[in-house]
Amino acid sequence: MKKTKLVQRNQVLFLFTLPILIMYCVFFIVPLLMGMKNSFTDWSGTSADYNFIGIQNYIKIFQDERFRNALVFNFKYTFLLTVATVVISLIVAIVLNQKIKARGFFRSIYFLPAILSLVTVGLIWNELFYRMIPAIGEATGWGLFQSSWLGSPKLAMYAILIVNLWQGCATPIVLLIAGLQSVPVDLYEAASIDGASAWEKFKSITIPYLIPVLNMVIVTCVKGGLTTFDYIKAMTDGGPMQSTESVGILIYNHAMQEGKFGYSVAESMILFVIIALVSVVTMRMSNSKKVGD
Amino acid sequence: MAKSKHIASRTVSYLIAAAGALIILLPFYVTLITAFKTPQESAQNFFSFPKSLYLENFKTVFAKAGYFKYFMNSVVVTVSSLILIYILVTMISYAIARNMKRHVYYKFIFGFIVLGMFVPFQVIMVPLVQFMGGLGMSNKFGLILLHVTYAAMQGVFLLVNYIQNVPVDLEEAAYIDGCTTIQAYVKVVLPLLKPMTSTVIVLNALWVWNDFQMPLMILNKLPDTWTLPLFQYNFKSQYSFDYNMAFASYLIAMVPVLIAYILAQKNIVKGLTAGAVKS
Repeated sequence: MKKTKLVQRNQVLFLFTLPILIMYCVFFIVPLLMGMKNSFTDWSGTSADYNFIGIQNYIKIFQDERFRNALVFNFKYTFLLTVATVVISLIVAIVLNQKIKARGFFRSIYFLPAILSLVTVGLIWNELFYRMIPAIGEATGWGLFQSSWLGSPKLAMYAILIVNLWQGCATPIVLLIAGLQSVPVDLYEAASIDGASAWEKFKSITIPYLIPVLNMVIVTCVKGGLTTFDYIKAMTDGGPMQSTESVGILIYNHAMQEGKFGYSVAESMILFVIIALVSVVTMRMSNSKKVGD
Repeated sequence: MAKSKHIASRTVSYLIAAAGALIILLPFYVTLITAFKTPQESAQNFFSFPKSLYLENFKTVFAKAGYFKYFMNSVVVTVSSLILIYILVTMISYAIARNMKRHVYYKFIFGFIVLGMFVPFQVIMVPLVQFMGGLGMSNKFGLILLHVTYAAMQGVFLLVNYIQNVPVDLEEAAYIDGCTTIQAYVKVVLPLLKPMTSTVIVLNALWVWNDFQMPLMILNKLPDTWTLPLFQYNFKSQYSFDYNMAFASYLIAMVPVLIAYILAQKNIVKGLTAGAVKS
């Protein structure tokens, strides 16, 4: 009796795994393999036939200046995004974790951007940049504010970055506040008795407790930065003069607008390898800083 | 001296909190006022409060642009995706968590599915368009299945880790009382998983409702099936001359989420942090 029950249970559990497993294979693994195959062809995306051209796409990509520029853009963008997100979120989380008045109100406000779609946010800021920047420029006479930053090849990236931070800090702030609350208060008291300064307390008590959350924030930022797409699509679409063309946008343009389907898939495979490498390195680096175990 | 230092640091805290809040609120303020202004009024002063409540922008968005249709598309896609995620992802996670140590099959599929988290969307973005088109699934139904599949990777990762820490005693007691596996799962296990399932639901609700990339790939050629983010993106190119109308469309797209946020704020924040911060 008991044995049949166990067999039955294992059958049920096996059936439990099937729906997602099948969907995962059909909607993820199959397209992935198709992509790998297409990356060795010269298929345009619409033509009836295509030729296998070996690794020619890959060789071309490594000589392609446009791809290299996109990659440089992504790395710069990701670095700035990650550093700024960590610094801003940490400051705000610490402020909002203090016993200030209207703390709950402030916390609700700071999370607001996270509930909006990236496209809506991008489009609203688009208009803000066009109206606000020249208005500031008129009032102050500073050259930097003469026209919308989105129209300038030098400044467009920073404009997108500001928008990304405006929205992207919301979730890290909530997570970091929760992390700060997990620090036992008596540790601070003990440190104060020992005469530790505020900075010392922050460095040797707060940070170690925040490492798991910071890890998550950093890894998410890195992945988000390397694959950035929505804001750019809504704000500059890669312009002006390809100055904000991220790899994600480049892949989309090659595949959907320029008839280089096979080539674009090869680009995405290279992006995959880069992201895998960078993720492993970031996780290693931030894990090695973990204190206490 | 200690006291004055205390007051100084308190003041700095308030200044930072208030300045940040202003920066957060500015785009909301601009959206609100611009939606109620005529183009002439906005041209005069972009940042001023509207002199009267001008409602034509909203009428146009509702009547001409068919906002309600896109809103319903978003609701259908989000609700169906979340129901399927709740049922299917929890099921597989439970099976994996309970049998991972006993059977290599479960251990393998765990690694196999979690591995997907590291593959950026761009890698399969292009083949996916071709593939879904070939299956005749470039529609809402296909989009829902895609959302469920992509939610499963992170969902399985979070849930399996959580379920492994849930004691088996209660389930075993249920078996002794004569429950079948499915009865025990529904009546005993599911309620125990609520903290983590709500994290998964909150994360995915925000993602699916606001997702732009997947609808852009799958639905862009069929305007009748557009979700709200896609509608807004296309609305911008259609009505780019009239940004007051565009802002009215942003505002009414925000309202449902804002209401949901106000109503469920505590649960959303709790749901987000329950999974991230282990106590």
